Amino acid sequence: MFEELKEMMCNYIEVDPETITPESEFINDLGFNSFDFMCLLGEIEEKYNIHVDEEEIMGLSTVKDAIKYIEKLRKEH
Amino acid sequence: MKEFTINGTVMKCYPLTAAQRLHFYTIKFAKPQVLNIGTGLYIKQDVDFDILKQSVQEAIADFDSMRLRFIQDEDGAVYQYVIPFDEREIGFFDFSGWSEKDAHEEMTKWTHKPLERFNSAMNRVVMIKYPGGYNGIYLKVDHMTMDSSSIIEFNKRVLELYCAKAYNYPQPKPLQSYIKAVEHDLEYEKKNNPSHIKDEEFWKLQIEGDEPMYTDFTGPGRLITQRRESGNPELRSAVITSNTLDAAISVYHLEAEPSARLLDFCAENKVSMASLLLMGLRTVLSKFNNDEKDVSVKTNVARRGTLLEKHSGGTRIHFFPLRTILEPEQTFIDGIRTIQAEQNKIFRHANYDPIELTMKRAKYRKFTPGASYESISLTYQPLTLREKNTEMPDIDYKTFWYSNGVAAQPLYLTVMHRPEDNGLNFNFEYKKDVVSDSEMEFLYYYYCRVLFRGIEDKSRSIGQILEMI
Repeated sequence: MFEELKEMMCNYIEVDPETITPESEFINDLGFNSFDFMCLLGEIEEKYNIHVDEEEIMGLSTVKDAIKYIEKLRKEH
Repeated sequence: MKEFTINGTVMKCYPLTAAQRLHFYTIKFAKPQVLNIGTGLYIKQDVDFDILKQSVQEAIADFDSMRLRFIQDEDGAVYQYVIPFDEREIGFFDFSGWSEKDAHEEMTKWTHKPLERFNSAMNRVVMIKYPGGYNGIYLKVDHMTMDSSSIIEFNKRVLELYCAKAYNYPQPKPLQSYIKAVEHDLEYEKKNNPSHIKDEEFWKLQIEGDEPMYTDFTGPGRLITQRRESGNPELRSAVITSNTLDAAISVYHLEAEPSARLLDFCAENKVSMASLLLMGLRTVLSKFNNDEKDVSVKTNVARRGTLLEKHSGGTRIHFFPLRTILEPEQTFIDGIRTIQAEQNKIFRHANYDPIELTMKRAKYRKFTPGASYESISLTYQPLTLREKNTEMPDIDYKTFWYSNGVAAQPLYLTVMHRPEDNGLNFNFEYKKDVVSDSEMEFLYYYYCRVLFRGIEDKSRSIGQILEMI
């Protein structure tokens, strides 16, 4: 999932994909803003057929957090 | 998509997007220059005007939406197309013997002059020798072709190209296709598009919830009067249209140090600057309206998430109502987080046509024409000419936004960063028959008081802040 997510993220931000790690922070390291992040989540919802909650995702700061959250939703689905 | 033969060439022409229709709708009710945006970018150094001219021409060649044209079919429907080449001559004007005030007034006059809407360039670029040893460009564009993000991107490109030619700085990266971005937007608008269906459901629920409350930036007078005139003491919306559309801009400069404090607060607390500014604004409106808890403002969404959207120019802004119901016991930071969660919801449904939303809401609430729950429209523009990754020398800049002289809404507030010191400029564009310059100053004063009382102690309650200011 990390590789898929990385590919999706590179549609939003100008970074060398090789520099993205599971520990990368969306805002501080990768330069995401709230709008980019919400658009990315929309794409994730469509790809994995899940529904994310706007309040829950406010606590996601790293790529690892997002993967954990998506995997949890996919198991529940 | 429709094909038109223009000057002997068959051109692919595309319908207007929702963001463009929003502007086109505005000109039905206002003077044609309502869509003009005039800007000036001047740098404090000698400029080689031949190199600057080449840089502007190259930037026009790179930037599709600077080559955008409109055309009408036999039924009056408007389409758009991008011409492949635009080898126009770039004008030059010498203001060096003028006072800065007179130069400003002259370029404001240029901004008042309407552009020809069909089969004609939707912008004008003039190289400027500005008073005080500054040199640069004046740019006038039609809002149906570009928004503030596009304008900043175009100006940045001219500067980058100039620096590449004059100082051997690296060439800027290629831009993205404007038409590709338009095709994406038009695909979304198809009624059977799953994202469109999802967004429609979201906004229907918003419209049909309990009724919001109008809060005016001058206080409750307008609503009280309209309650009396309509004979409805429970009226919660107010007509915000007025007799004239004449507008002016008042700009207030927040110094670099306090601006940095606001930015630091956002970084430390992991909240967005837009949410902080919305929190400040809604609290001022609450203060001006007897500590009303239910406050709505219009929030503008730039809709530039993907790299295609960020670097394809065009006009993409949609506006939506943002409603906040905050109790006086809630803390300032809690209020910001509540607003950020609301904004996130809006972001996820921001491709929806704002005109369609406005119409549906007016029909559902049986509005009197011109009625609204929001008196102010707020835009936060985070982009500046100096972004990280931008290869440019350290230059002293001046940037200006010139008024087009008319406005469709009573008050637009745009908060943007100054390129020279990253301080914040608060641009209030207001209708002159509704409000005065001194009332804008009053509003700005209270706005700053709320923001700084809030950030100096984020655990302060909203009620405490309302009392303190």
